Amino acid sequence: MIGTVGATTIGGVNNIGRFARFVLQSVIASLRSCVRPHAYPLIWTQMNIIGVRSVPVVMVTGAFVGMTLAVQAYGQLAGMGLEEHLGVLINIAVVKELGPVLAAVMLAGRVGGALTAELGTMNVTEQIDAVRSMGTDPIRYLVAPRVLACLLLTPCLIIYADLMGIVGGYFVSVVQLGINNRAYWSFSAFGVELWDVGVGIVKGFFFGVAIAAISCYKGFTCREGAQGVGQACTEAFVASFISILALDYALVVITNAIYDTFWPLKSLV
Amino acid sequence: MRKVKENNGKNDTHAYDGDGIIVLKNVTKKFGTNVVLDNVSLAIEKGKTTVVIGPSGCGKTVLIKHLIVLLRPSLGEVYFKDRRIDNLGENELNKVRTHYGFLFQGGALFDSLSVTENIIFPIRQHCKITDWKQVEELVKAKLAMVGLDGFQNYFPANLSGGQRKRVALARAIALNPEVILYDEPTTGLDPIRADVINELILKLQRELGETTVVVTHDMTSAYKVADRIIMLHNGKIVADGDADHIRNHPHPVVQQFINGQVSEDDLAVLRMSGTISQAQFLPRDFE
Repeated sequence: MIGTVGATTIGGVNNIGRFARFVLQSVIASLRSCVRPHAYPLIWTQMNIIGVRSVPVVMVTGAFVGMTLAVQAYGQLAGMGLEEHLGVLINIAVVKELGPVLAAVMLAGRVGGALTAELGTMNVTEQIDAVRSMGTDPIRYLVAPRVLACLLLTPCLIIYADLMGIVGGYFVSVVQLGINNRAYWSFSAFGVELWDVGVGIVKGFFFGVAIAAISCYKGFTCREGAQGVGQACTEAFVASFISILALDYALVVITNAIYDTFWPLKSLV
Repeated sequence: MRKVKENNGKNDTHAYDGDGIIVLKNVTKKFGTNVVLDNVSLAIEKGKTTVVIGPSGCGKTVLIKHLIVLLRPSLGEVYFKDRRIDNLGENELNKVRTHYGFLFQGGALFDSLSVTENIIFPIRQHCKITDWKQVEELVKAKLAMVGLDGFQNYFPANLSGGQRKRVALARAIALNPEVILYDEPTTGLDPIRADVINELILKLQRELGETTVVVTHDMTSAYKVADRIIMLHNGKIVADGDADHIRNHPHPVVQQFINGQVSEDDLAVLRMSGTISQAQFLPRDFE
């Protein structure tokens, strides 16, 4: 019993250590790739696969988030005669929390799964060893372009999700539920600050790096066989999902503290 | 020069004489508690073809990966041209690896890249390409060497197993390496395709004069290409010498392996494992 607990603990600590080392190597390789123009085509390709092809699915996610929020919140606000404030509630929720988090979760499923499956298959078919045998660092060649693509494009995708969330919320609130158009936008403009939008977008950088690093790590360390690759994909999604939620919580605490420091009175209002 | 001495069923002890382009010194490799290589010392001679034979799971692939430090030893040292390389960082090691070409068991071609892109991969990584026409001609020449000129725009998925290995070989020699490592080059191929690969190994060795290490359990291939044959068993070298030495080796494990005979122990296990009629039993409702 004690032996099992000990072995599990040592295994867990080893895994964390290996992952931390992998992330450090990935960050160094990514920084180096930024100053090497010959790496740009690789980054460009990954940006197309990871970013451009994710636009439709992220936009659909954002639109439904806004629409669902409008339907859910309308009943409660209308009961208190505050339905014209619906815009503030929807747009704050979308740009600060739901847009970034749900877009990132969608990316973790769509992109993270694909990254793990691709690199996992390359691992079990010795393609990663082949890269190393030809004197090339696989982290520089395979991981850095994916990390950079996720880092740069997750915030852009969050902007798309936010826009569609706002449009979706507006459509249900104003067109379907008949809230006054002018009141909807003026309350929204009063309640949503550039800070809120910025916080949501900044979260994207952290989510993007977390998704890419976890997915690539799981691909690099996956066990042999179809079952090994499948299990790595599942683990990558679960780990990415939990990281997104944990990072979201940490970033909310940090950004709120910063906001309270610089605008102490505003936060009271 | 290595000296081959006769023994009576004991392991050859002359596998390492300290002189060679690649040297393994007392290398042990463990995966958990499983010892795959057990204190192996070996010198690979420059310009010669060394073949490593042994039953499946005896550590042949682990051994060949140590020669290029794709795996690092748990104990012991690896030298390339008298320079210790097993303790180098990855960046330094990558420079050393450009002197090697490695043909993997399944070819390990990059699925997403065409044949041309696969072959120019190492060139792109290590050379500044200014003249693409010259690179195209180089790819054509490398493919011609393996008999596949005209396949430049194919993708790995459109090639047969033998063709994939030949393209992988063209990629392995793209940087004109001093050492070529072959991991089970004939496995999974029909006898004719396997012989094509053997002829290619001989042709490349003849024309380029590089050092060749082949890992195989195909004795036809081993006898055909080897200047020297080393047999691994349970992570140790049990035989080392030219083809004649191996054919006449007194060690029963060597004779058993080269003649493809099942051991008495394996036969005993088969006898104890039940009858065929027992193995054919199926549940009643099986349709």
